[in-house]
Amino acid sequence: MLLSGMLLLYGQLLAQGRTITGKVTDESGNPIPNASIQVKGTSLGTTSKDDGTYSLTIPASSKVLTISAVGMAEQEIPIGDKNMILVRLSTRLNMLQEVVVTSLGISRDKRSLGYATQNLKADQFNDRGQVNVVNALQGKVAGVNITNASGGAGASVNINIRGISSFTGSNQPLFIIDGIPISNDVDRTNGGPTGTLGDNQPPNRALDLDMNNIESVNILKGPAASVLYGSRAAAGAIIITTKKGSSQKGRAEILVNTNESFQKATGLPKVQNEYGQGSNGIYNPGTSNSWGPKFGSTATVANGLLVGGVAVDYNPYPNNIRDFFETGILSDNNLSINGGDAKQNYTFSAGYLYQKGILPNTGVKRATVKFGGNTVLRDKIKLGGSATFTNTLQDGILGGNGQSSMGVLHGMPRSIDLQKYKRDKTWKNPDGTNNYGVTGIENPYFGAYENPLKSNLYRIIGIANIGYDVTSWMNINYRLGVDAYTDRRKQIFAVGSGRVPAGQVLDNPITRTEVNGDLIISMKKNDIIKGLNVSGIVGNNINQRMNQNVTLQGDNLTIPFFYNVSNATAYANGSLETTTLQRIVGYYAQASFDYKNYLFLELTGRADQSSTLPKSKNTYFYPSISAGLVFTDAFNIVSEVLNYGKIRASYAKVGRDAPPYKLEGVYGVTTYGNNVANITFPMGSIAGFQASTRIPPTKLSPEFTSSYEIGLNAAFWKNRITLDVAYFDEVSKDQIVDVGLAPSTGYSNVTANVGKMTNKGVEALVTVSAISTRNIRWDISGNFTKIRNKVVSIFPGVTSFAVPGNAFTGSIPTIQEGQPYGVIIGGLIPRSPDGQRIINPVTGTYQSTIANQVLSNPNPDYQLGFTNNLKVKSFSLSFTFDFIKGGEVLSFTAAAYKSRGALKETAVDRDKAHILPGVIPDPNNAGKYLPNNIEIPAQPYWQTMGGLQSEFNVYDATTFRMRDISIGYDLPATLMEKLKINSARIAVFANNVFFVAPNAFFDPQVNTQGAGNIRGLDLQSVPNARTVGAGLKVSL
Amino acid sequence: MKKLILFLIIPVLFSSIACKKYLDVNQTPNNPTSVPPGTLLPTTTAALAFANANDLDRVTSVIIQHLAGTGSQALDYDVYKLEGYFDNQWNLELYNGAVNNLVIIINKFGDANPAYGGIAKLELAYAYSMITDLWGDVPYSQAGQGLKFITPRFDKQQDIYQGNAADSIQSLFDLVKSGMADLDKTSVLTPGKDDMVYGGDLTKWKQMGNTLLLKFAMQISNPNPALAKSIIDAVITGNNYINSNALDFEVPFGNAVGNQNPLYTFNNVNRTTDQMLSARLLALSRSLNDTVRLGKYFTKPTGNFVAYENGSTAVAPALATRSKYNTFLTGTLGEAPVRLLTFAQVNFILAESALILGTAGDANTYYQAGIKANMQKIGMTTAEINQYFTDNPAVVTLAGTTEDKRKQIITQKYMAWIGNGIEAFNDYRRTGYPVLALASNAAGQNPNVIPTRLTLPNGEIQRNPNTPNPAPHTDVKVWWAK
Repeated sequence: MLLSGMLLLYGQLLAQGRTITGKVTDESGNPIPNASIQVKGTSLGTTSKDDGTYSLTIPASSKVLTISAVGMAEQEIPIGDKNMILVRLSTRLNMLQEVVVTSLGISRDKRSLGYATQNLKADQFNDRGQVNVVNALQGKVAGVNITNASGGAGASVNINIRGISSFTGSNQPLFIIDGIPISNDVDRTNGGPTGTLGDNQPPNRALDLDMNNIESVNILKGPAASVLYGSRAAAGAIIITTKKGSSQKGRAEILVNTNESFQKATGLPKVQNEYGQGSNGIYNPGTSNSWGPKFGSTATVANGLLVGGVAVDYNPYPNNIRDFFETGILSDNNLSINGGDAKQNYTFSAGYLYQKGILPNTGVKRATVKFGGNTVLRDKIKLGGSATFTNTLQDGILGGNGQSSMGVLHGMPRSIDLQKYKRDKTWKNPDGTNNYGVTGIENPYFGAYENPLKSNLYRIIGIANIGYDVTSWMNINYRLGVDAYTDRRKQIFAVGSGRVPAGQVLDNPITRTEVNGDLIISMKKNDIIKGLNVSGIVGNNINQRMNQNVTLQGDNLTIPFFYNVSNATAYANGSLETTTLQRIVGYYAQASFDYKNYLFLELTGRADQSSTLPKSKNTYFYPSISAGLVFTDAFNIVSEVLNYGKIRASYAKVGRDAPPYKLEGVYGVTTYGNNVANITFPMGSIAGFQASTRIPPTKLSPEFTSSYEIGLNAAFWKNRITLDVAYFDEVSKDQIVDVGLAPSTGYSNVTANVGKMTNKGVEALVTVSAISTRNIRWDISGNFTKIRNKVVSIFPGVTSFAVPGNAFTGSIPTIQEGQPYGVIIGGLIPRSPDGQRIINPVTGTYQSTIANQVLSNPNPDYQLGFTNNLKVKSFSLSFTFDFIKGGEVLSFTAAAYKSRGALKETAVDRDKAHILPGVIPDPNNAGKYLPNNIEIPAQPYWQTMGGLQSEFNVYDATTFRMRDISIGYDLPATLMEKLKINSARIAVFANNVFFVAPNAFFDPQVNTQGAGNIRGLDLQSVPNARTVGAGLKVSL
Repeated sequence: MKKLILFLIIPVLFSSIACKKYLDVNQTPNNPTSVPPGTLLPTTTAALAFANANDLDRVTSVIIQHLAGTGSQALDYDVYKLEGYFDNQWNLELYNGAVNNLVIIINKFGDANPAYGGIAKLELAYAYSMITDLWGDVPYSQAGQGLKFITPRFDKQQDIYQGNAADSIQSLFDLVKSGMADLDKTSVLTPGKDDMVYGGDLTKWKQMGNTLLLKFAMQISNPNPALAKSIIDAVITGNNYINSNALDFEVPFGNAVGNQNPLYTFNNVNRTTDQMLSARLLALSRSLNDTVRLGKYFTKPTGNFVAYENGSTAVAPALATRSKYNTFLTGTLGEAPVRLLTFAQVNFILAESALILGTAGDANTYYQAGIKANMQKIGMTTAEINQYFTDNPAVVTLAGTTEDKRKQIITQKYMAWIGNGIEAFNDYRRTGYPVLALASNAAGQNPNVIPTRLTLPNGEIQRNPNTPNPAPHTDVKVWWAK
């Protein structure tokens, strides 16, 4: 009945339309078969026959036809009252004409660029259940490495473009939104002396951007591309362009977008459920290990299960770890209204994101409101601007090793009913102290519910723009940007908590403001001599960044459950104020030459004056030059196979200033110790200051990174296959580094211009239009990245020093001569001449390790990304795979599951003797070795294999992952018309769909410390999350 | 066109004029760039105490079996797995905490203010004795001077104690004497309450200096008895050393959070489950009929001592029942001082020196004075002390061969050093007393030998190419060891 009703409706609609016929030809009048003829804005259309003719029935309201064919320029033709439309398409001579936004917001034809960029449109990353735009780029961009901290709500994402180029500076790209730089930094609240790597996984601040407002993201990869932005873009730039008011005449477009999804923790190791809490086969409530008696054993005094004649409750709880993770919920809603025309337009957007994290008591809430507009006065003056207001709240819990929820949870005893504490709300005793099944260890739920860290951030990004067309060939533009936020954070440690038993309230407001002004004068003259077009800009940049981080730490709380700093009795520990202010004044110029649209040359220079360098050295200049030759046009190569070819080359040098306040040596309040015992001055009323362990520079000059790049763009078979390949060779020299010194010098580092590091790499992007017909379109794109990084030299007398940041002694991320950046240095077991590990014949376990060896290398061998977009009529399917080959992770998580006897494998042959692989020294033959035959029980065996910083916890991080998948359906135009809706689209999607890590029993693609230079450490991390959801997008 | 030029010029002009001041913002508002010596002295004094009572105390107290490990690192220490530890102690507490700030006091303020310079030299000598005693050959003559020596040489322990003119190494003895000489000079600034130990009384610092000479001399008495004797003879003649419990060189702590003795914060607050009374010490104490004294050092929550076997893998006793450090060492809220040089120590040194080196005085008299000084210090009543002496004449009276007597002296010294594992560890390695059995399940670099030194921390190995390679293992004896 319903079906017949719909048919009837369809019939009625048809009756209201009419039929258009016509023919599609090329410039010579030859018919073009298989051309697509479509009613613009709908999925209604047809294809031309072999003789080029077509016939299409259209609704009465149809206004414009879009006609396209492979290798031809697309045309739009107003329908008017015509019944017959003949179309002559022209061959697309300007192959690969793609407009991209480059430095300073300048739109350029990609054809003219002598360096690599990659542009992604919103539909390539939206509808995938992502909330952080950096995550959304994963697997899709050549030359870029993106790794999650974890699947925790709001946890940061690390992004490195073309590897690591700075020893200790930021290697994150500069983020630019609509032409102004914004902060993508990570602010850490680490709890002062209590912060043994126990962050709550704070976000990178791109989290504050509502992805619904983003129109496109362009990735500027090398210094040549980003040189106009100056030193801060030495690590590349992410250029985000937001949606503008509609430039089509007509009514305003109202877009409503909603995405609802669920999240689940993934990648948890498989656990055993045969043995419970204990050691050496004896039940022991004082241990976090599962080396106790087998479940079902008869309770005896000897096995510890009979205490005072009463049998201990001793049963397996197979899901006690998995069930700690909750089902996350993501709800992302946005309303945006865009209206106006090319001269006067406006945009309004309001969005609200709600996320309940996979960890208990965690989540993110984000509200965004944006208003923007553009207008033209007196035909010559363009005014524009926008203001975006964001409020982001993050509730997190401490992670990391030690007394944190995650540190306790991973590999926890198999016989503890963890969820009972949650059901009964008994993670704390009535007096508020911790209650858990292991003596002296904090209940994971206690950490989650009693020690929260809350962040409440208000951010405003404002942009104002005024331009004046002085003459037809010259324009003056001033753009002012402000990015300011205040993040009020509060960390609570309850009285009786594991990490701060006396209780602590930490109040930590963080303020950052960045003001950026650019005066840009741009000029353009065509046909200076015949065929030579010249354009250029000169500009001035003023940039100021101010950060303030105030910490008030209140210790030793008196009144239970009252978490206000007034409840504390000591305030000196960890309380501090840090304010930094730095300014840059820059001057830049660029000249671009375009000869007959096939030969391109661009020269750029920028001079910066920085407040942070010595006055005699504070002005520095750096140039870039790039060139491109479209050889297919230049030499009139006409080929059925190769229809477009361009070679390009560039050289760029980028200077970078110092962080503020590096020129003087300072003193600070004296403090000794760490989270287990510490003192801080004043001692009573006696003040104490100590010299900073950093020695100021004897001289300091700017640091420089120079880079060569050569590349090839090619298109084959009328653009069915396109190729973009680049090879780059980058050298960073004279870096401004606090270079590590031997502690016995009395200092830990000295600020100096040091070292040399190289990055060489190849990146490639291939796109294939496998099918392109009216009804079916299938595009495949693949990207490849291979980067080789090497620390060539550091400083006379210094061959190695630690990457700044928190790390555990025995597994230190290190900058070491001759090694790639960030190798983890620790102890390795001595080996016999034939490479076998040597066993100590007394203990049956390995000999003591040799210190300061390379334990692991976090840098992958290469990366592959693979994206498919398939569109069949109104259905679309897209998915992304990525493959990361090599790179190693040192996993404390793996260590915990093994050494605590929780991993499934540890139950295999538990009661039999184990022999560690290796050799023992031959007692009768010095220098010779015999196969190890010393039998040891399972517990010492696995505790050797699971020693926290042992080489056995280094895992190959090779991972194949289905990054995302999205299936969409455009509701029929006819139905839309009936409903008075422009268009509607529904989608179902998933991200982090599944992964295969052949050499690890967990997901090795986590990086507990998040965005930053420390990589390849899984410190009992929150696992990654899988997201599955659905979305609806309606345009009114 | 004119308008255009104006357009171009004004902003550029404006920015270049404004530039100079605009860019002059690089003076840090966050930290002072110079401080008076009176704020550095408390820093260095606290560094000595904190280094002495923090992790270095924990590892040595477990090795010499005052304590037994029941959790975390203490489990490793108890079975002699020492690799990969002590970076924070070597770096933050000693070389970056004590040494560099003492060098600043001496070099920057010492000439005008020899009162500060002199105290700093005495503290520096104490700091270096800790470093070399624990690690053997260490950076000394080239250490703590920043860029002047970027990879400081590892000086031999005999050169550190005795000096070596050829290598420009000043002996610790000369460093102490130079410090005491400074104390006699006229000083622009003199310490007051910033001298946390003696409140600015330089006479007491001289007594501290002479006591240091006694300690150092006894430390080298195995390899160089002649030098040891001459130093001790001179100090006895000068008769100006710590001669009462009231003069002990001890660093005060407070009861406020952040001011507390690390023995308290570690054992009573942050790591309550990690270490407790060793069953070995309990047995020794019982064999000496000395449990009243032990009760001043350790708690008895159940009314009895509850101890744990070193290196055991057995289930540790319930937390609430364990015998742990008592208030003499921790204070009720962390206010107990850290005791670095004591009157009891002086007496035991003079007893041993009279016995072994033939210096002035009666060994037995000094021996008994040492026991009494310690018993008084820890709060035993006169009646309790007299009772002990009456009941245990064989314990409190030296008898037998010289070696028997030495064993008695060092055993009593061992009882007096509970809470200061470093000193007990020094005496054990120097004399072999008290006789200790290996911990159960010993492992580490040599499971058959109680460590005779600590492992060098990775940070120094990594960054200083002058570090001995391979770094000495825990079974390699230091120069002065027996």
